[in-house]
Amino acid sequence: MKITRLYIMILYLVLVICSLLFIVKEHYNIAILLILGNALPGYTLAKSIMRENEN
Amino acid sequence: MIDERIFRRFNHTIAACFVIYFLFPEKIIGLERYYLIFLFWLLVIGIEVARFQKNVEILGLRDYEKNRIAGFVWFASGACLLLGVYELDLAPQSFVIGTIIMAAYTDPVIGEANQRYDDKWGVILGLGCSFIIYQLIIGVFFYAIIGSIVAVIAERPKIKWFDDDLAMQIIPIFVMCFLHSYGIGPELVEQGLIIKEGL
Repeated sequence: MKITRLYIMILYLVLVICSLLFIVKEHYNIAILLILGNALPGYTLAKSIMRENEN
Repeated sequence: MIDERIFRRFNHTIAACFVIYFLFPEKIIGLERYYLIFLFWLLVIGIEVARFQKNVEILGLRDYEKNRIAGFVWFASGACLLLGVYELDLAPQSFVIGTIIMAAYTDPVIGEANQRYDDKWGVILGLGCSFIIYQLIIGVFFYAIIGSIVAVIAERPKIKWFDDDLAMQIIPIFVMCFLHSYGIGPELVEQGLIIKEGL
């Protein structure tokens, strides 16, 4: 489970870095797609992890 | 337990980050960047081989994937193939970027819509999602509409040895490249070159 959490954290980090790099290079359309497309599943997954922590 | 369905969806949507490849410098530690594509693909194949040989449990896999090639291998193979096709100058950059992002988002959208509503909504939302992405990236209505229709059709058949994660990438890009190279479709904005230089 620890490895899964670490893996998920790395995924979030990858997403943030990629989005930032596209913003820096002024490719806003790609950055917006990356952020919006991952926002809902990313948020829901984070909620699921937090719920698990509470339990 | 972490919700496996959400975990699977997030793994799928995060695959859109593959397009970061186009921001890589042309040479990395003296090697052409396209070697990275091959190295990454070998890594994915290595993980899959280890999964079969050592019976490694990977969270988020579907039951039917336990004894066959997993979805992530199909998707990674498709994305690597598309990046390779771009490096060989066989496909415009905007088609490759649009198709990788489209496949990463549209498949989960169709899956969720099929589960929550029905197949009809899966098709409608899949068409809408893929069209918006293609239009935002390619910027040509003709390719956006053709690409989105072909992508949704490619997602439909459930074939054991040809997963939709691969089909949704190679079939639309093949059709769009065919239309573009034979002059059937209109010209692309800036010859389809969106990212002119890497970091």
